[in-house]
Amino acid sequence: MRVSRRDFIKIAAASSAAFVLAQYKMDIIKVFAQHGDYVHICWLNGAACTGCSVSLAQAADPDLLEVLMSITTYTSGLPIALPDWMYVVHPASGSLAVEYINDWIKHEGPGPKILVVEGAMQSPGFCETGGRDFRDWVQDTAQAADYIVAFGSCSSFGGIPHAKGNPTGAMGVQDFLIEVGMEDKAKGVINLPRCPGHPDSLILVLASLLEGVVPELDKYNRPKAFYGRNIHEEQCPFRAFYDRGIFADFGQSEQGCRFKIGCKGPVTWADCPTRKWNDHTSFCIEVGAPCIGCSEPAWPDGDYAPFFVELPQVPTLLGYPAESWGTAFAGAAALGVAVHLARRAMKKKTAEKHKEKGGD
Amino acid sequence: MTSFRVDPISRIEGHLKIECKIERIPELNNEYFVTECRAPVTMFRGFEIFMVGRDPRDALLFTPRICGVCPNPHSITSAMALDDAFDATPPPAAILIRNIEEAAYYIYDHLIHFYLLIGPELGVIMGPEYGAPILPPVAGIAGLSKGIGTHYARCIQVQRRANEVVAMWGGKFPHVTSYYPGGVLVEPTLGRIANTVTSLVPLWEFVALTHIQDIMNLLKANERLKEVTGAVLGVNVGLEDIGIGTGNFLSFGMMPEVESYEDDWLDTSKRNNSLIKAGAFYDGSRHPLDENKITEDAKYSFYDVPDGLHPWDGLTVPNKDKPGAYSWTKAPRYDGKVFEVGPLARMLNTFGMEWRIPRVHPITGEDYGDFVYRVRNPKGSVLDRIVARAACVLLVANSVFKYVNQLVSLVKEGRVSTMNKKPVPKEAKGRGLWEAPRGALSHWVKIKDYRIAHYQCVVPGTWNWSPRDSKDRPGPGESAIQCGTTWVPTLNVIEIANALYSGWGDVLAQALTKLNPKYARLNMEPTDTGEYVNATIALLVVRSFDPCLACGVHIITPSKKTYTFEVGPGLCSLY
Repeated sequence: MRVSRRDFIKIAAASSAAFVLAQYKMDIIKVFAQHGDYVHICWLNGAACTGCSVSLAQAADPDLLEVLMSITTYTSGLPIALPDWMYVVHPASGSLAVEYINDWIKHEGPGPKILVVEGAMQSPGFCETGGRDFRDWVQDTAQAADYIVAFGSCSSFGGIPHAKGNPTGAMGVQDFLIEVGMEDKAKGVINLPRCPGHPDSLILVLASLLEGVVPELDKYNRPKAFYGRNIHEEQCPFRAFYDRGIFADFGQSEQGCRFKIGCKGPVTWADCPTRKWNDHTSFCIEVGAPCIGCSEPAWPDGDYAPFFVELPQVPTLLGYPAESWGTAFAGAAALGVAVHLARRAMKKKTAEKHKEKGGD
Repeated sequence: MTSFRVDPISRIEGHLKIECKIERIPELNNEYFVTECRAPVTMFRGFEIFMVGRDPRDALLFTPRICGVCPNPHSITSAMALDDAFDATPPPAAILIRNIEEAAYYIYDHLIHFYLLIGPELGVIMGPEYGAPILPPVAGIAGLSKGIGTHYARCIQVQRRANEVVAMWGGKFPHVTSYYPGGVLVEPTLGRIANTVTSLVPLWEFVALTHIQDIMNLLKANERLKEVTGAVLGVNVGLEDIGIGTGNFLSFGMMPEVESYEDDWLDTSKRNNSLIKAGAFYDGSRHPLDENKITEDAKYSFYDVPDGLHPWDGLTVPNKDKPGAYSWTKAPRYDGKVFEVGPLARMLNTFGMEWRIPRVHPITGEDYGDFVYRVRNPKGSVLDRIVARAACVLLVANSVFKYVNQLVSLVKEGRVSTMNKKPVPKEAKGRGLWEAPRGALSHWVKIKDYRIAHYQCVVPGTWNWSPRDSKDRPGPGESAIQCGTTWVPTLNVIEIANALYSGWGDVLAQALTKLNPKYARLNMEPTDTGEYVNATIALLVVRSFDPCLACGVHIITPSKKTYTFEVGPGLCSLY
């Protein structure tokens, strides 16, 4: 039984909670299996650390092996397939490797051709593979691709290599395609930032694209299903401490909000607290670290650095700075009913905001 | 004489290519052998530029992004460099948590190298009986090969479990976030400890039983390989005879003991009590490490800097047009000599030429017999590097249970503090030295006005894949490829597999060519004279080092293209 397009949209929309994705695991595998012979993925590495490839190998719902074993390529009937080209796992090197990328470029249907880029784009001359500038490879493959996925912060927005100083002119794939006059292709790039990219986001988007469904994107071309909610406002399990003005210190983190040690959760939109990482094991905030905001275009600069320094603009509640809330609310008697009512009003407002976003 | 090149090389980390001159050797059945090799690492370490001016603590989160395959060693090495600069010795619980996190990470790293990166070559050499489980899960032929891909597939799951332990303590993998100068941010809750033990037991079982058995099978298959090469070349050539190194091995040590942390570990000239000792192994024995003897040459590197600078004084002034230069790595040398780093260096410095590692089940106590190995080639070889990697991972899998037990004792005593918190110093310097899976790793930081003023990383990829130095001596990787025994057959992979084990090549051909008919030409590279030669053995030598080269932003030197290198004037002057 084929997974219908409609079902798939449902999965993509619902997937912001990890357990939902786990529930749909078999459906995702089915999509890959159904498309069997016609899955054509070319995975290129630019100014990358290979962390995104490694991250994909940590996928759990379904895991990488389940995905690869559900695909068969070239009507081989073999129990496992490979992407048409992927640097890190491919048997071939050298001239044969170059030929495979060129074959992918020339290949014509059936089934969509998906280009996955890992690592940043750079000014001419900074990255070469197979005797050509990496920029040339991306232009040619992007031209041939039905869909382009930028996996990880580097290929999405430039990431670490585009940190202030940016000696190599690093940028994301979308900006690069605009720079070389390929605006049409740039528009369709699906960005899956975070450092590294989250494997769930890639596997779900690939399955979704095979079904011909482009997930709903936000203004930075990120699927809303993964990047639609603010970490601090809408998801963080330590939020209750913030509201009570209890703050964690370095190395003392089981009790307390990480705001004071530099947490960028208030300015970050990603589903880490609900999805978590490595088979739902943990995420940065859970181990006492601040969120560093790796899913955002300005990262690692702008609001996001220095990582261990409190956000400069302290959000205030009823005019009280964060550090004095505990006292303020402990002394609720002094403020009396006013505070109580204000908080109730705020809760209502948050609920309404949730409702508005319900369609994401 | 002719030549060939391989570009790109897959199943390694980073963009490396090799250029080899080859010659027919009349004494060896007139077969081709590599006579000269250059391995340009085409990258530039931009990290050292854009980290300058930042909060020193940002290094904890920047440096892991140097490499997503080995992010954890960069995390801990930058943490130790900052411990040093902040004058903050971590409390015992933090030392143990760092050890546990790094140990779990280490298990993942070495396993994927054996099964996913070098495995396909080894599987072919090991034949239908021993090699099948190591190959990717392709199709077998009934009666000829059984269980193809079973260990390969298992490894994908096992590495995932190992990284879940890393994530328990580090938040996520790759790129953990819980390190901090003077300790770790995470607290040792009983939940984390219990989950760690639960996850570690199957990891130990895979390492000690499955992986070590595969290594023993490799040793058996190696004997078969010698017979076949004997028939073809007239000389028995095994894996211990290819990829011969320099005989100089450097280790910085890893996994300190809590009790002797200050007396033994912090003094890098000691490091006698840690799981892996620090030292320089040459002339058949270990000598104490002297970190002042680390220097970098740049004669053949694209930098206008003097030869022989210590990382404290390291300069990074790029010059793409420098005459004679061919690589963007500098050439690190120890005591002015070429040194190899990596698992073999760790084992030689810690145990000498003969290793004996127990295999006692951490829960049941069942003894599966010691793993014993005597180094076959004291100068280093493909075989010795692969076996040393397995020995290291067994050693780590054994000792991680000790660290967990020690942590449980600390928690029972209430000594749960994981942080010796110190403010960011106005002016300071610090260095961290550690063993990444691929070898000796060091970070050198100088802080001025509470900001990073100088950051130099000397990474394993630079040691092993250094170009020629000021005295024209090739780096360890180049030496190993041009050591004289790198056979470049004109037979293809299928024909060689058939020569090794009757019918084995046909099994592989059937699977590979079904995947894509072009796989019949796997590793066949054209020479200048238009002949096709088989680069498999040269690649095996490359992969025996487990190259990991992303340590910086890639930069290239297309021979006929020009490009401009633009660095703001202020940036360079900071070095």
